[in-house]
Amino acid sequence: MTRSRAGRSAVLLLATASLTLAGCAQQSNTGTSGGDSTQASVGYPETADLPDVAGKPGGTFRLGINEPTAIDPYNAQESEGLLVTKALFTGLVDVKPDGTVIPGVADKWTPNADCTQWAFDLKQGTTFSNGEPVDAAAFKRGWTRSVVKTAASDVAYHLGEVKGFDELQAGTAQDFTGVDATNPNQLKVTLTKADCEFVLHTITAPASPVPTVAGAADNKTFNDLPIGNGPFKMDGPWQHDKGIKLVRNDTYGAGPKANLDSVEITITPSANGSQIETDGFNNGTFDWARMPVPVLAQERAANEPKNQWISKKTAGINYLLVEVTKAPLDKADARKAISEAIDRNAIAQGVFQGSQVPATALVPASFKGAYQPGVCTACKYDPADAKKLAASAGLTPGTTVTFQFNTGSGHEEWTAAVKQQLETNLGLKVTYSGVPFKDLLKNEQQPTATGIYRAAWGADYPTAGNFLAPLLSTAGIGAATANDVAQGDNRGRYSNPQFDQLLAKAAATPDQAARDDLYKQAEKIAIGDDLGLIPLWARQQFRLANTAKFGNLKMDFFENPTLGSITLK
Amino acid sequence: MGKFILRRAAQAILVLFVATLLIFIATFVLGDPFSSSGEKAVPPAIQAANRAKFGLDKPVPVQFVIYLGNLLRGDFGIDFNQSRPVSELLAATIPNTLRLAIVAILIEIVIGVAAGVIAAVKRYSFWDVLVTVTTTLFIGIPVFVIGILLVANVSGIGPFPAVPRSFTVVVPWYQEVLLPGFTLAIIDAAFIARLMRGSMLEVLRADYIRTARAKGLSERTVIGKHAMRNSLIPVVTYTGISLGALFGGAIITETIFQYNGVGYLLSRAIVNSNAPIIIAVVIFSVFTYVLMSLIVDILYAYLDPRIRLN
Repeated sequence: MTRSRAGRSAVLLLATASLTLAGCAQQSNTGTSGGDSTQASVGYPETADLPDVAGKPGGTFRLGINEPTAIDPYNAQESEGLLVTKALFTGLVDVKPDGTVIPGVADKWTPNADCTQWAFDLKQGTTFSNGEPVDAAAFKRGWTRSVVKTAASDVAYHLGEVKGFDELQAGTAQDFTGVDATNPNQLKVTLTKADCEFVLHTITAPASPVPTVAGAADNKTFNDLPIGNGPFKMDGPWQHDKGIKLVRNDTYGAGPKANLDSVEITITPSANGSQIETDGFNNGTFDWARMPVPVLAQERAANEPKNQWISKKTAGINYLLVEVTKAPLDKADARKAISEAIDRNAIAQGVFQGSQVPATALVPASFKGAYQPGVCTACKYDPADAKKLAASAGLTPGTTVTFQFNTGSGHEEWTAAVKQQLETNLGLKVTYSGVPFKDLLKNEQQPTATGIYRAAWGADYPTAGNFLAPLLSTAGIGAATANDVAQGDNRGRYSNPQFDQLLAKAAATPDQAARDDLYKQAEKIAIGDDLGLIPLWARQQFRLANTAKFGNLKMDFFENPTLGSITLK
Repeated sequence: MGKFILRRAAQAILVLFVATLLIFIATFVLGDPFSSSGEKAVPPAIQAANRAKFGLDKPVPVQFVIYLGNLLRGDFGIDFNQSRPVSELLAATIPNTLRLAIVAILIEIVIGVAAGVIAAVKRYSFWDVLVTVTTTLFIGIPVFVIGILLVANVSGIGPFPAVPRSFTVVVPWYQEVLLPGFTLAIIDAAFIARLMRGSMLEVLRADYIRTARAKGLSERTVIGKHAMRNSLIPVVTYTGISLGALFGGAIITETIFQYNGVGYLLSRAIVNSNAPIIIAVVIFSVFTYVLMSLIVDILYAYLDPRIRLN
């Protein structure tokens, strides 16, 4: 403990020192060059995927994960749980990291004209690994099982737009009225609102099909030994806190069969799981590993020349949540002043050792159609302009601004740097405190909350709408009045009718390009004009991958290895 | 004697009750376990359903009474993350912790006693200085330093299993227990060596040792049979208490070696704010410690009548 604290203070000291230096250098050339030209040099470059190789059966792929909350699809949620669930179950469709939808059990998906009804045509003759048919009824069974009140699933909300959801959640109905499975080869879904991207919701775990043996969500046998229709099946039940073993499902029918004979998933403790994965990769125990930030540079230097290093920008954003309805940050100029007073480049270099990329938009680069680099005009370092904006918005030197972050997740250093910069550049009095994540959440939710909070968002579905709607729409606040607790993800309570209208219009627009265009307009308003939240770093993920032994080893949308296509070389 | 045991047992139960109450209250400081899922807020209806499922919808005093009732029936409740019975988790990890504790105690007694005896018998020799210096060193080194050094440099070599290793690699318990056992033992062994050296030196000056020598007994018999046996008394006391602590789980060592004992269970539960496990492990640790000191006290009372009269 003492050692890590000492280490942290050393990092902090170094960071502060390099920030000061970088700050000086930056200030001297602010007048001549904009922020954009310097940003290309920050952040580890993304790596290109290695060329595909022909698959051949065989091999055991080994990796470590933290103990998942669940591997049963009704409640699988974090990346670890989804790794297992997606290997065991194939839903209606699947996605590529950029949001391209590819067939799963469904080979055709068609919305009606206003996107309130969807028809999914299912591949015929596919089965669960126990021989039960995967038909429309299997999907309806799975969806209902996830959504009913007694399941108490954390992730049932993915199906929240489907008619009958509210009744099931309230416990007043047992039948999912919006899901029609009368034709075994076609699943018909009725929504309560228009959503031309509903198909993306069907990639989530609770939308998986389940066989009749699944029973209810509290069936302990099935929870630990799920029987699915995916490329892999369980080899014995989940050994809690030890591991999970998967073997190839030779009766897989929804797509090409897996090459690997088996996958050995060892469970590592969550406190230092990524360090253990790195150690395991280096001692030959694992073929895939995450890394803690302090070893990134060293592992990159050792593994990038061997093509064992994967670096990808993924669908996520790190940002500052701003309480936009309350002084002193209730004016757009005040928020822009905060944003322009933060030297993202210097922090990226000093604290993150160059591993993080400053964000200039909320919607990440992985969505090529909707990505607008630079839409956040205030996402640059310009202390002079920041001072002007602050003065015009009444954010005078000496104003108190609350800044909270959650402890124990490596946010100590960079938040301290942000605090320092706000005090130096704007003369603010920053009330800075670290609290456990649950308290941070509670504090943000209160109607009396003010100031800024450290926040991050990872997409549930690969679409720009999954960033804009939950984080900035009025519905995303989840509070009936300004005096209620904000139950949604828009805890900064940004609300702009024009923005909401654009999002509603986008949801009802079947054409992808036209929809992306509406998303761009919406982001321009909420981020470019109003700065409803302050984007900081684009999410970027790094992995060590044993490409010497395995081919077709890539990272999927859920930031997991593409188990279904990995093959021995 | 019976009255003494009763009195001590009543005290032990009181300690257990107070510890249970305190840890029960303390875990509520951890906050609501169902308010967030990862970094996302959980809808209020789901939060309410989860609270009802785990009985958190009732007032805290009521929850405590229910918990005590369940505890008397050996039911530690279900954990927040996977809804597994906590008693099963304990049952799976306690044998590992006990094995580790016993191995550690054996290692520390062998090393500690041997080093102490040598240092005392060969007083002021090179061996004495060596023992004094190394024990000082080991007493000063925190246990995690030794653990991390061993994991980084020794695990994976020869009979010592790799850390981490794939869960499918089966390692016999006596191999798995070697390095963590040694890590736990080394610091206590240094203490024991010092205790042993001190008491041995005292005993060697005693009259009966001179008598023994005067009788013409061999030096080996004098040291081994007469001096050592009496010098062991403080060591036995120390080992008893140390065993009580080790039975409760060695959090740092088990975590470093990813050894599946109650200490590792506790450290993971703390990270996940998994209150039912935290409460159960704490109660178990307090229970073993209280039980061990109860046994030691009773043994003392049996040996020394003055104690039970007070």
